[in-house]
Amino acid sequence: MAPSISCLFLAVLLSAGCEVITSSDQTCFEKEANKTYNCENLDLSEIPGTLPNSTESLDFSFNFLPAIQNTTFSRLINLTFLDLTRCQISWIHENTFQSHHQLSTLVLTGNPLIFMAETALDGPISLKHLFLIQTGMSSLEFIPVHNLKNLETLHLGSNHISSIKLPKDFPTGNLKVLDFQNNAIHYLSREDLNSLKQVTNLSLNFNGNDIKGIEPGAFKSTVFQSLNFGGTVNLSVIFSGLQNSTVQSLWLGTFEDTDAQDLSSAMLKGLCEMSVESLNLQTYRFSDLSSTMFQCFTHLQQLDLTATHLTGLPSGMEGMNSLKKLVLNVNNFDQLCQINAASFPSLTHLYIRGNMKKLHLGTGCLEKLENLQKLDLSHSDIDASDCCNLQLKTLPHLQSLNLSYNEPLGLQSEAFKACPRLELLDLAYTHLRVNAAQSPFQNLHLLQVLNLSHCLLDTSNQHLLEGLLDLRHLNLQGNHFQDGNIPKTNLLQKVGSLEILVLSSCDLSSIDQQAFNSLGKMHHVDLSHNSLTSNSIEALSHLKGIHLNLAANGIRVIPSHLLPILSQQSTINLSHNPLDCTCSNIHFLTWYKENMHKLEDSEETLCANPESLRRVKLSDVMLSCGITPVGAFFLVVFLLLLVILLIFVVKFLLRWKYQHI
Amino acid sequence: MSNVMTTLLVWALIAPSSGGHGGGDAWPTHMACSNEGLEVLYQSCDPLQDFGFSIDQCSKQLKSDLNIRFGIILRQDIKELFLDIALVSDGSSILNFSYPICEEDFPKFSFCGRRKGEQIYFAGPINNPGLDIPVGKYHVLLELYDENRSMVACANATVICS
Repeated sequence: MAPSISCLFLAVLLSAGCEVITSSDQTCFEKEANKTYNCENLDLSEIPGTLPNSTESLDFSFNFLPAIQNTTFSRLINLTFLDLTRCQISWIHENTFQSHHQLSTLVLTGNPLIFMAETALDGPISLKHLFLIQTGMSSLEFIPVHNLKNLETLHLGSNHISSIKLPKDFPTGNLKVLDFQNNAIHYLSREDLNSLKQVTNLSLNFNGNDIKGIEPGAFKSTVFQSLNFGGTVNLSVIFSGLQNSTVQSLWLGTFEDTDAQDLSSAMLKGLCEMSVESLNLQTYRFSDLSSTMFQCFTHLQQLDLTATHLTGLPSGMEGMNSLKKLVLNVNNFDQLCQINAASFPSLTHLYIRGNMKKLHLGTGCLEKLENLQKLDLSHSDIDASDCCNLQLKTLPHLQSLNLSYNEPLGLQSEAFKACPRLELLDLAYTHLRVNAAQSPFQNLHLLQVLNLSHCLLDTSNQHLLEGLLDLRHLNLQGNHFQDGNIPKTNLLQKVGSLEILVLSSCDLSSIDQQAFNSLGKMHHVDLSHNSLTSNSIEALSHLKGIHLNLAANGIRVIPSHLLPILSQQSTINLSHNPLDCTCSNIHFLTWYKENMHKLEDSEETLCANPESLRRVKLSDVMLSCGITPVGAFFLVVFLLLLVILLIFVVKFLLRWKYQHI
Repeated sequence: MSNVMTTLLVWALIAPSSGGHGGGDAWPTHMACSNEGLEVLYQSCDPLQDFGFSIDQCSKQLKSDLNIRFGIILRQDIKELFLDIALVSDGSSILNFSYPICEEDFPKFSFCGRRKGEQIYFAGPINNPGLDIPVGKYHVLLELYDENRSMVACANATVICS
């Protein structure tokens, strides 16, 4: 019987051991030592003892704390941020946060709160952000108001609230955001809003509440930072209710899953009676889009008509004289001229991104927009065999142009002569057809940022980047070079002012020693995701203090003569390389440990061989490769001497023994 | 005697590992719809949780603007939400695409902008194109994720069209 008892004992011991292992698996994740911890989804029913007292930010969401009280968090008195999302909290007892003077953000989203004690939120000197989303609340009286005088944002979304009337003694002095998303608010009375009269620049969110009525004058002479009535079925109600109000930003858009009434010009008349700077009407349909539709938009500075099913805008639109920013993304234009740009003479920003049809740029469709500074035409299926001087005729102040994610564009020399003041040009993922020896970017003397990633460029064209005198940031990601090599003479020689160069995913296998010689100002070079070996490091020998990304290349051994080049840089990423951790790479391995502070992503910088050290972090490798050739010589001499000495001793001993027989 | 010992040892080694949260087990396979020769089955591939999903009108000639029902607890804020779909038939990939559902400057659906920890229930149209599904068996991997590529939902679905 004894063996079976002992084996039972053994089994119990083992199972206990396993339990310890699994529970230690479930420790919180340290994001910042002694300060920030994440304990999400760990089924914890108390604060683990492993968390240091100094913890300031704690994400404790998706755990199990049915009741919280003054002992629950008492040890962590330095907490400033506490996330208790979906911890099944039903009770928040008296003085739970009494000792948490620094607490500024408390998240209680998704807890089935039954009761919060009167002093539940006492303690924090300045509680600024309180999240009570989906806590089952039906009345604002539920919130203990004692210690909320510093409150800046209050999130009350997805509850059963039907009236926004704040309790009489609710402190509103510092309130900036009041969020009532997805509640059951159908009517806003004057009395409701009187409690907010003193608050200036408030952002109020009624998104997902079907507002059916607003008492006339309820919003009168109050200044709001933003008002959101997203998803409202009938906008007439909102417009008539907002009479004589002042709103910086008014969000009235609707959604694909909401059946909203079409907008008529009669409805939009309401805007004449109020002051709005920025208006969003996304996903609406206009029932009778005429030139007088927007006549009440005279003071509007920003208008967002994303996905409003537009095929064009009528010519001679009234009331858009002061419009600065117009968003026409995700519409159905055929021709750029269909937006009738002449109606918006003051426009500085124009966005026509993600057009649902192939967009034809036409000729000079935007030429009346003399003040235009930013133009976004990305993701719109644009193609043009000869771009872009006719298309962008006279845009003298254009600083930023986005033509990324389009169909092939043919570029001739001086392709952007029409916009000489460009500072940023984004052509990523748009196939560029440039004939040999042409210089499409010539004359863009002010251009600072040029994104040519995945443009299928002919990189053997030495003149491609000619004329870019002030270019600081060049992205050539995903373009290919002949034979995977950047030769001594290459297109980069024309851009001597370059500071940031991206050549990742270019299939490079080598870079000539002198390829970057004319680039003396660089401080960031990204060569990641190529097949480079350590030989290419020599091309950087003239650069100092740069951020160098060599991740995901074919670097195995870095010989000692290249280490000084690495030493003179400020940050280096060598992760995901097949690095050699044998004695043939001992100089680099020693250098690596001495320069850990310069290395980025060291968690992913692993050995590839020998087999025994595969996937071990370089920083954990301890190699002793003691014997250098000099060492070996001395060792041999030493052994030889030892042998000679031994022979003499034996000889002496034998002689001594024979003499004494 | 040695049998007892072996059993005990095996139990001791296995028991705690199956007791962890989420269990070692996969989530059950649910039926999203089954009608007119079309059957759609799915299984959650998010180790943390299951979710509920059903399609209203299911048929081989898939109609446009299908109505679906969807219930889940959010593990992330969904100010930005993207959908990746990978369609595989007979072991070869037919289609991969990525589609934005919620973007900061264009929240397409009314649930966009809701927060981590919220339970959401969506019943409504999804704005899909109409489609005739050829006879066969298809595997579909659907992933919903936020701007940091943190998982919001993950489904391994099987579509059987006969």
